Amino acid sequence: MSAHRAPTGGRIDRSKTIAFTVDGKAYAGHPGDTLASALLANGVTLMGRSFKYHRPRGLLGAGDEEPNALFTVLGPGAVREPNIQATRIEIFDGLQVESQNRFPSLSFDVGAINRLAGKLFSAGFYYKTFFGPEWIKGTRVWHVFEWFIRRAAGLGSASAARDPARYERMNAFCDVLVVGAGKAGLAAARDAAEAGKRVILCDSEPPSPAATAEFAAHANVECLPRTTVWGHYDDMTFAAVERVADHLADPPAHLPRHRHWVIRTKEIVVATGAVERPLVFPGNDAPGVMLASAALRYAAEFAVRPGARIVVFANNDTAYAAAAGLAALGSTIAAIVDVRPNPPEAARALAARAGAELIVASAVVSTAGGKALSGVAIAEIGPDGAPGANRRTLSCDCLAMSGGWTPQIQLAAQQGAKPRWDERLHAFHAPDLPSGWSMAGSAAGDFDLDEGLSAYPAPVFEIKAKGKAFVDFQHDVTADDVRLAHCEGYVNVEHMKRYTTLGMATDQGRTANLAGLAIMAEARGLTPPEVGTTRSRPPLVPVSLGAITAERKDDLKPWRLTPMHDWHLENGATMYNAGLWSRPMIYGAPGETIEQAYVREAAAVRSGVGIVDVSTLGKIAVQGPDAPEFLDRVYTNLFSTLAVGKARYGLMLREDGIAYDDGTTWRLGDNDFLMTTTTANAGKVMQQLEYYLDCVWPDLRVILTSVTDEWAGAAVGGPKARDVLAACVSGAKVDDAHLPFMGIVKGEIAGAPVLICRLSFSGELAYEVYSGAGHAAHVWEALMAAGKPFAITPYGLEALGTLRIEKGHVTGAEIDGRTTARDLGLDWMLSKKKSFVGSAMMDREGLFHPDRLRLVGLVSLDDRAINGGSHVVDSLDGEKATQSLGHVTAACFSPALGRYIALALVKNGRERLGQRAFITDPLRGRAGPVEIVHPVFVDPEGKRMHG
Amino acid sequence: MVEIASPLGTAFKPGRHGKPDGAPGVIVCERKPATIVQVAAFSGRETAVREALVKAAGLKLNGKPGAGVVNGSRAGFGVAPGRWLIADDKEGLAGSFAKAIAHEDGAVTRLTHGRSVFRIEGPRAEWVLAKLFAVDFSPEAFPVGDAVSTTHHDVFAAIQRVGENAFDLYVFRSFARSFFETLVRAGEEVGCEVKA
Amino acid sequence: MRITCPHCGRRDVAEFTYQGDANRLRPDPASTDQAAWNAYVYDRVNTRGPHREFWQHSGGCRAHLAVERDTATHAILSVSYARDSDTARAGRRP
Repeated sequence: MSAHRAPTGGRIDRSKTIAFTVDGKAYAGHPGDTLASALLANGVTLMGRSFKYHRPRGLLGAGDEEPNALFTVLGPGAVREPNIQATRIEIFDGLQVESQNRFPSLSFDVGAINRLAGKLFSAGFYYKTFFGPEWIKGTRVWHVFEWFIRRAAGLGSASAARDPARYERMNAFCDVLVVGAGKAGLAAARDAAEAGKRVILCDSEPPSPAATAEFAAHANVECLPRTTVWGHYDDMTFAAVERVADHLADPPAHLPRHRHWVIRTKEIVVATGAVERPLVFPGNDAPGVMLASAALRYAAEFAVRPGARIVVFANNDTAYAAAAGLAALGSTIAAIVDVRPNPPEAARALAARAGAELIVASAVVSTAGGKALSGVAIAEIGPDGAPGANRRTLSCDCLAMSGGWTPQIQLAAQQGAKPRWDERLHAFHAPDLPSGWSMAGSAAGDFDLDEGLSAYPAPVFEIKAKGKAFVDFQHDVTADDVRLAHCEGYVNVEHMKRYTTLGMATDQGRTANLAGLAIMAEARGLTPPEVGTTRSRPPLVPVSLGAITAERKDDLKPWRLTPMHDWHLENGATMYNAGLWSRPMIYGAPGETIEQAYVREAAAVRSGVGIVDVSTLGKIAVQGPDAPEFLDRVYTNLFSTLAVGKARYGLMLREDGIAYDDGTTWRLGDNDFLMTTTTANAGKVMQQLEYYLDCVWPDLRVILTSVTDEWAGAAVGGPKARDVLAACVSGAKVDDAHLPFMGIVKGEIAGAPVLICRLSFSGELAYEVYSGAGHAAHVWEALMAAGKPFAITPYGLEALGTLRIEKGHVTGAEIDGRTTARDLGLDWMLSKKKSFVGSAMMDREGLFHPDRLRLVGLVSLDDRAINGGSHVVDSLDGEKATQSLGHVTAACFSPALGRYIALALVKNGRERLGQRAFITDPLRGRAGPVEIVHPVFVDPEGKRMHG
Repeated sequence: MVEIASPLGTAFKPGRHGKPDGAPGVIVCERKPATIVQVAAFSGRETAVREALVKAAGLKLNGKPGAGVVNGSRAGFGVAPGRWLIADDKEGLAGSFAKAIAHEDGAVTRLTHGRSVFRIEGPRAEWVLAKLFAVDFSPEAFPVGDAVSTTHHDVFAAIQRVGENAFDLYVFRSFARSFFETLVRAGEEVGCEVKA
Repeated sequence: MRITCPHCGRRDVAEFTYQGDANRLRPDPASTDQAAWNAYVYDRVNTRGPHREFWQHSGGCRAHLAVERDTATHAILSVSYARDSDTARAGRRP
């Protein structure tokens, strides 16, 4: 046992010793210790350097309110978690932490020189300092200064190492959420549990034996220790973070480190307690000066004496109880200094019990010592807090102070309603609460004190003696900074907050806000409620980003695979992410470049036969007696006239007449259609169609079902495509008579039922072979086997793109939400026999303007590649070089033409066919001459696909 | 008949995952029904279709939203207003439904290939599912036989409670491998046994 | 925010997709009244307070819902199937 640790008492387990290090130095503690209590038991009082001035700091608090003692927790590996409160770190064997904001060491810190430059770092220093003098402008000098200033003031630093920890999310539903497992929280949980309600009881602290014992038998109570409820969202939804494994020396890989809870409840009881406030006086931040409640907590819970000889400084009665408690636990209470002239009898009795000298109508005006406290100076004060000239010093190694109590109402205040001011408590209560909400215990202002004692403070919060008196310890904001903000016009509480940064640190100003508010109110001659309080927002404690992203492992999205995915990988495909889908880009041979691979693949389609996985196309079953009518309304062309067993290419517009999506739709029966959409728009189109059926035409008898995943497809194209099918299809004939262009047949391939439609994206004789997705890999392999004599070539997205560019087929690059059917050369698809979605607005005059961008082809005249996204210009010189006529939507090397070609949208493009222009891509340094041509480069008559 | 291939491929790793000791908190396997079929009614024809379905399938589906029944090798449940999903270990149901449901009343859609089904069972099944879905899985809110339609981010799922601690999850096949890995990972905390 | 779907019960807003103002009436398909179409496609009321809107339970049963929502408080005042709403009824064949 150290001199600081009592031989008995507290929640620690003395039978076991835990070894940990701080800045590499070894220390010992016990299970049940926090880093704060363990260090205190080792006689360590210096625990950090302050944000701006690098002042030595020790513990102020014992829980979430702690602003000073921030450490960086090291490991696993190179991971560094900065800015963790020592009061929140449960020690374990092998724990390694580093102190922060010091160089070279915590006890000798060269940054402490900032204290001498105090003026430079006063309120708003950042804004003022960064307006450099005139001569600096345009030089890099300022960047160098900024670098130093940013390093001089700050907190810990994180590492760039990948965090190997696991994070999870949990969705919970309950009748009553109780936040805080103190006396009031336990009582609320007990009442709700006994009424048979589903209860969740959250508490920031490790499991309390009382709660564990009480609710062990209640199946309807879920106790969540180490869990902080940090956010309130609409409709009684709450966010909480559970620190599942931070306290474990060797957490197993299956345990998440943090768990993000989303709790939906019917009622909430906020029993988050109250935080004691510091008093504002010069030197109030010295190590050894702490909150009276924290001092008592260290003694009672951890059996650590915060000091051998303690002076108590208070403006209310509660500190007297703390003094008596500390005395009973073995500390000497040298004196109780009270700003009030007449403390009540019950308080005096406690002072006597503590054996303390009672010094009334007085205040601490300075502190002495450096890394540890050696004494305080006190003086008599007037009613306004102004000290008199007579000073007296008291020697002590701990000053326990109490400036009153602040109910922890942040969660309730996140609703946005205004908190209510309590003049006697000199603090805000929760706003008027909507139904389902209640506050309990000291969070509600109920302090459960002994007879004759009160938590109401005398209205003295600041002792106006000379020196730096801190309001916000973590951000180094002094009382003078608040007054400076007032002088400079930042008098609104929200402005004051941002100008001084008061309350903006990781502790959210728990101990600082009310004193800051009181000082501003006094400066403005107003009362605190007139000044108001800043808006409370989530999160109310720092939350790891890992916890919030939680289950999104590795990537931020799931992926979709076609049934042929493994085949693609086994056969050398380089995969490409298209939306959520993973698709083959090329099947590269060893040593091939991407261009060589796709040119080879595309050429094989034109000369022999190729096969491509088209399973990703959106597929929607459109069923019902009104399906033909429905399709007539949503497509620009007619579908009611389509024969069963035939397919038709269709175009959809938006209501405003702009092109929306395209695809083929197959009529499988009188009332049964299979619609295909582009891969990218599958979800959007489905949603849009459902909207029309539900909200616009509710009497149409149509059922829509996504069957994208039911049917997998392989497109087989090329002059030899029919030979391949003839070799493997049974139960159907695939010759031109039985399977004409846009015809559909049902058959079998290798025993699996297939649906074959003769349609072409490549412009070649081509077929789409659809099978049940569970049969698709089998069918694909059968097609490959049947194609082997014809050297069937699997091809990827690059070759698919090349073939479609050569044919001038549009995709999402051209149907870009701005183009009309006319712009794309698809006006032949606009039926004049009926109205359809978009028909009423597609003929607006602006959509006919000659300057509209229209689809054309480009051929590179310098035999170099054209970049997608390049602009098209009339000249590369002078003003015209920057006057864009349009842009390139897709580009490739065309094996059919032996040229680099592109599709482009060009102003009045159809009138420019045959003209010369230039492409320019200044970003990638590529410019060159092109010829504007018709967008169908290959086989404009369509002989090949009809062949 | 060609067997329907599992969507899992290399992601199927039978055996114990995560917490190595004690009984597994959950057991996960792929169910492979021979038939999954959707029956849907046009607006106003819900009762007629449901009654025809009850007769054809032999499942006592009531009209309550999300109500479902498990009857040996056959299960059915409501997934949307006037829309039911039926799974059967034998083939042929789609054909008999197509005969039973009048064209004026509704439509029958085969989804045997398009949906993959995973069963998760064990004492911690509710806990593991609650990691992925924002749905109340407690027995009071979610009785045996009932089903919910929900999503885990982009992954749509229809979930039927098939036993006190057992659930069948119907997901789109293209997402199945990704989702299965997510499901097993979520189960690792409590010990997850992957079975064939 | 949560919306109580008539089919699925109360679900997080993340399961729903906003599908627009439910006060708009689509002109008769054959109408060539450009002002009416313009109003339908582009004009929106920007209400503070109760507002009628369509939400699709896209991550659930996929039904479109007619929701009355207070835009100032996010309170959901009523929910019903969109196909039963006045707006949708106006689109039924005579």
